[in-house]
Amino acid sequence: MKNKWNFQGNGELKTAPGITIRGVLSNIMQNLNKDDQRPIIPLGHGDPSAFPCFRTSLSAEDAIVDSVRSGKFNCYSPAVGILPARRAVADYLSKDLPYKLSPDDVYLTIGCTQAIEVLLTAISLSNPVANILLPRPGFPFYDVRAACSNLEVRRYDLLPEQGWEVDLEALEALADENTVAMVIINPGNPCGNVYTSQHMKKIAETARKLGIIVIADEVYDHLTFASTPFVPMGTFGSIAPVLTLGSISKRWIVPGWRLGWIVTCDSNGILQQTGIMKSITGCLEVSSDAPTFIQAAIPQIIENTKEDFFLKIVEILRGAADICFDKLNEIPFITCPSKPEGSMFVMVKLNLSLLDDISDDVEFSLKLATEESVIVLPGVTVGLKNWLRITFACDHSSLEDGLGRIKGFCERHAKKE
Amino acid sequence: MENGNDYSHQKWNFRGNEELNTASISVRGVLNTLAKNLNSDDPRPTIMLGRGDPTEFAAFRTAPPAADAVSDALQSFKFNSYCPTGGVLEARRAIAEHLSRNLSVQLLPEDVYLTVGCTQAIEIIVSVLARPGANILLPKPGYPQYEARASFDHLEVRHFDLIPEKGWEVDLDSVEALADNNTAAIVVINPSNPCGNVFTYQHLEKIAETAKKLGIFVISDEVYGGLAFGSNPFVPMGKFSSIVPVLTLGSISKTWIVPGWRLGWIVKSDPNGILEKTGIVDSIKNYLDITCDPATFVQGAIPQIIKRTKESFFSNIIGIMREAVDMLYDMINEIPCLTCPNKPEGSMVVLVKLDLSALEGIDDDVQFCLELSKEESVIVLPGVTVGLKNWLRITFAVELEVLKEGLQRIKAFSQRHAKKQLEYQRQYPQRLSRSETNLRRRIMSECFLPGLQE
Repeated sequence: MKNKWNFQGNGELKTAPGITIRGVLSNIMQNLNKDDQRPIIPLGHGDPSAFPCFRTSLSAEDAIVDSVRSGKFNCYSPAVGILPARRAVADYLSKDLPYKLSPDDVYLTIGCTQAIEVLLTAISLSNPVANILLPRPGFPFYDVRAACSNLEVRRYDLLPEQGWEVDLEALEALADENTVAMVIINPGNPCGNVYTSQHMKKIAETARKLGIIVIADEVYDHLTFASTPFVPMGTFGSIAPVLTLGSISKRWIVPGWRLGWIVTCDSNGILQQTGIMKSITGCLEVSSDAPTFIQAAIPQIIENTKEDFFLKIVEILRGAADICFDKLNEIPFITCPSKPEGSMFVMVKLNLSLLDDISDDVEFSLKLATEESVIVLPGVTVGLKNWLRITFACDHSSLEDGLGRIKGFCERHAKKE
Repeated sequence: MENGNDYSHQKWNFRGNEELNTASISVRGVLNTLAKNLNSDDPRPTIMLGRGDPTEFAAFRTAPPAADAVSDALQSFKFNSYCPTGGVLEARRAIAEHLSRNLSVQLLPEDVYLTVGCTQAIEIIVSVLARPGANILLPKPGYPQYEARASFDHLEVRHFDLIPEKGWEVDLDSVEALADNNTAAIVVINPSNPCGNVFTYQHLEKIAETAKKLGIFVISDEVYGGLAFGSNPFVPMGKFSSIVPVLTLGSISKTWIVPGWRLGWIVKSDPNGILEKTGIVDSIKNYLDITCDPATFVQGAIPQIIKRTKESFFSNIIGIMREAVDMLYDMINEIPCLTCPNKPEGSMVVLVKLDLSALEGIDDDVQFCLELSKEESVIVLPGVTVGLKNWLRITFAVELEVLKEGLQRIKAFSQRHAKKQLEYQRQYPQRLSRSETNLRRRIMSECFLPGLQE
């Protein structure tokens, strides 16, 4: 049949869905058994906003209501964001840094999602043969966006036996003269680790040696509940230039509000000098912006949210991490190399040799969905085949229920003697 | 900022992209540059007539139920999460129903894809079409966001003319001459930005038939779909979807006067399923999977925003626009160096022609705008930004008193610079100052996209 229409879809975009977390979870959810009366236990995603115990601070909600009702912020926003919001974010982040950020260091984005989109696009445009270094396991959205921009990706390993620290030697071996940046995610998604100050300094020194930017994805900032405190990478911004990515999505439990940022933590002004910030601004200029009224609420959101809201959330996560670690240790078919210290996730290894008819992590996840109505993320999605990423950001009773069902599932599929 | 440490020999592997620095979005960039020429000693308030954003005026305040709907959605606790790809179902359904009122075929929720304003809708469509070698047809004069995104994604653009003598209708002959086997689609902006016209039913049908003949689909930018106030009623392109597939772009920004809420859509009108078969729909969905979304609670508010906004809100806005247009048309016609060949019937902007022969010492539209900014603290957009040199794009979506004052200042400026006899003493120097020359150079080189200059 002659195709008389001159247009067709963009072939490169056709391959995208399989490798996003959203896409994988959606496939797994199609395997749910509709006849199962029990509630579905969602341990695959990073979004606890539907649970009442995780409801955001009412002060934050009030700030948005005030902003929209004022009628003063229905206008277009400048590409980099409105000044009061940029100032508020600069002051907020400066509290944890040894120097003060300026509002000009802050670029507001539509969530951390757009921050990643813009950053990777700007890098790819700077050098047609540029490459970036991504952690494995990592957050697959970086890979997806890099592919979109034809930006080469090289993966360095995180070491499970060392609390998921960066394998710095391997990282150095990967870099060459076209390597522009390395991404670190701290607190860690998917591993749940929190880096020490010493380790982060070493990372910065390695970056300086290689002449590259550190892209510090700190979207889970301050969500730490063990002994290692959260230290922002910007602390070492005088050693190597740091681009910090963040948002209100995780700390305030509002991923649907879509407000994030790219912040330059670069006391030597290298990012400005090399022109890459102009490229980032250029990308922002031709893209859409975060809603102006949400930006306008940011100063109030930050100022009025009381410390006990944050403490409450961290407490729930701490308790959940404890439950998760303890219960997983009762399951011989699963190994949890380190107790999660931050973020909302933990990576666990499957002992497939102890399981009968399960060949890999994907099959495990699909069958678990069908038989037990529990959703987990197969590790291949984040770069580690035959591992699982489990979310513990859930109310405690659902979490216990879900982990109990996983145990039951494993026992049912155990290899017989 | 620290300097002089041991970084002097440090080599850094990254740099900016020169091309990107200079090809920034034209309208924002040009208006910012014109604003730099404002005279800080002028005690009068600056009058911004360069952009369609009337949110600062009380008369244009959005409908109270809209803000209520957003607050309710937020406090319902149902919309703090990530949204599904394509948008929250209730919002998609509400928009499908709302748009179907003016169409012959009922739209389904699945035909509606929510975007972060019409800006992102444009971004998505351009990305989807940006295969190597493909091209799209854009109107000239047009809306430079299309060119900006196309340049960014390396999608070739070709410009067809809109004919001022024919009410800014599309020059269909030029469309046919431009298209080839790699042409994917034609963009039509109706009601028009920057021209202010509304296309007739018959003309839209001809556009559809031409597109079908060429094997291309129509991208109908109807962001001003709710703002038609002349004798010509607004007809959605989706009405002709049995002739040719249509992707309609729209948003709540202009109809509800809330551009800062960032809620738009791409709507598919394609009963013959051609966009499915050719993979366009899959590409759109795949792109939506990997890009950011509008705020979930704004999506959640859409059904109530649509349901609870009274008709009187819209008719009130239309009434203000009509008055503004009448005033603008009359006052422009009193200014010898300006003509408004087509009284606007829709949108928020109009193109006005500059007769340079009636002016002394003003060489083009850019210089006119730079000097107007300095002498009268009025900002209008030079037409070269939108593809028509020596025209001006002026917004009338402004409070009437402010519009009147702005037009009076433009009149005063024109009189001051009118070609006069030699003895006339003029207050301001003829030539551009050095800083103005620099600003002008900046507007010409940094803020234009290749292909938009005549």
